[in-house]
Amino acid sequence: MIDVKGLNKHFGNHQVLKDINEHIYKGEKVVIVGPSGSGKSTFLRCLNLMEIPTGGEIVFEGVSITLAKSKEADRVRQKMGMVFQHFNLFPHLTILGNISLAPVKLKLMTKAEAEQKAMELLKRVGLEDKAEAYPAQLSGGQKQRIAIVRSLAMSPDVMLFDEPTSALDPEMVGEVLELMRQLANEGMTMVVVTHEMGFAREVASRVLFMDEGRIVEQNEPETFFGQPKNKRLQDFLSKVL
Amino acid sequence: MIDKLYKALIEKDRYLAYLEGFKMTLLLSFLSVLLGAAIGLIIATIKYAAVRNKLLAVPNFICNAYIAVIRGTPVYVQMLIIYFIIFNNRDTSPLLAGVVCFGINSSAYVAEIIRAGIEAVDAGQGEAGRSLGLSWMQTMIYIVMPQAIKNILPALGNEFIVLIKETAIAGNIAVLDVTKAATNIGVATYDYLPPLLIAASIYFTVVMILTKLLRSFERRLAKSDRR
Repeated sequence: MIDVKGLNKHFGNHQVLKDINEHIYKGEKVVIVGPSGSGKSTFLRCLNLMEIPTGGEIVFEGVSITLAKSKEADRVRQKMGMVFQHFNLFPHLTILGNISLAPVKLKLMTKAEAEQKAMELLKRVGLEDKAEAYPAQLSGGQKQRIAIVRSLAMSPDVMLFDEPTSALDPEMVGEVLELMRQLANEGMTMVVVTHEMGFAREVASRVLFMDEGRIVEQNEPETFFGQPKNKRLQDFLSKVL
Repeated sequence: MIDKLYKALIEKDRYLAYLEGFKMTLLLSFLSVLLGAAIGLIIATIKYAAVRNKLLAVPNFICNAYIAVIRGTPVYVQMLIIYFIIFNNRDTSPLLAGVVCFGINSSAYVAEIIRAGIEAVDAGQGEAGRSLGLSWMQTMIYIVMPQAIKNILPALGNEFIVLIKETAIAGNIAVLDVTKAATNIGVATYDYLPPLLIAASIYFTVVMILTKLLRSFERRLAKSDRR
């Protein structure tokens, strides 16, 4: 589904991603872990061109998005939902407005259809009573669930999660992970950057370990956590587990 | 004193002159603000977009030079240059010259106000918009600008207020604004103080009203900040 070929990313003279080759298959739940500064967020942000790669190619559903014109890239992004560490809800819009803005402005749905779909999604996460509220009135966990719903409203083929629980109070992490777990069970293709090792172990179909801009080890979770081969991964796991 | 005020205001229907002058001041300020906001918005957009787009390096340089020159010279000198040298045709309406002068002058300040207001919006907002598939333009219009306006509005209102007062020099290029009306009456009555006080109180009243309006508008925009 997403084919990454020889991906490089530089910030000035600093090379953040070094020649990454990776394939993400439909229905996979790929969890990326690694120390901070290892390039995992940058890798994720390259997948939907939030960061423009300085080298290599990314092919999504058969279309090379690194070569695409900006209009095509916009269309590709419609099919790739992204959830951010800091939620990035639109503070000037109600929850309903947040969810229905993109489908309406992109002329995928009428306002009524989009709002109906938004209400269905809100019901699903148990937040339908917040439809008319503004983001500032919500807790962190609620905001992040709304952010996920906002992405889902575009019916994406893949969801990218960039440390979705890192900015949350500990007691709110659970509700967000629960929603992500549900999505995973429904067969959504997911790429998740996270420090939640429990979630990785339980939900991932594959775990990648990144260090210094490279994917240095990957495996299905049981072997990944049980028998890590790479020395740095062993170090990393001994610190976080 | 009452006698003096009577002379300055009522005698020979002089209040009509203030009224005409006041209308001219408002018209001049309003048109100038529109022109200033329009040019300012264009400059701010170029400067904002130039951060990401290298093709805009030259326009960006021109914008910076424009802002530096306009902000680095007195508005009075700019007005004289525009009226006597650029619009040196006898038929040019003083109002047009005034609007061009104050509009251009204001645009340099407005451009910086708008740019700062846009840049103050969290970068994550733009990213969230783009990640949903909205284009750069759509993201600007529906997500970034509505939030930027909240940052821009107080400073922009201030700029408008400053501009209204600045137009008091337009009498020098034959615009019959409220200040000019007052000095004309001063000449006719051999007594400058009463008409100037009247003109001053007109400016003061307008500024007070605008300040109030601005504050209530800001409060309305802050609706989504309430918890």
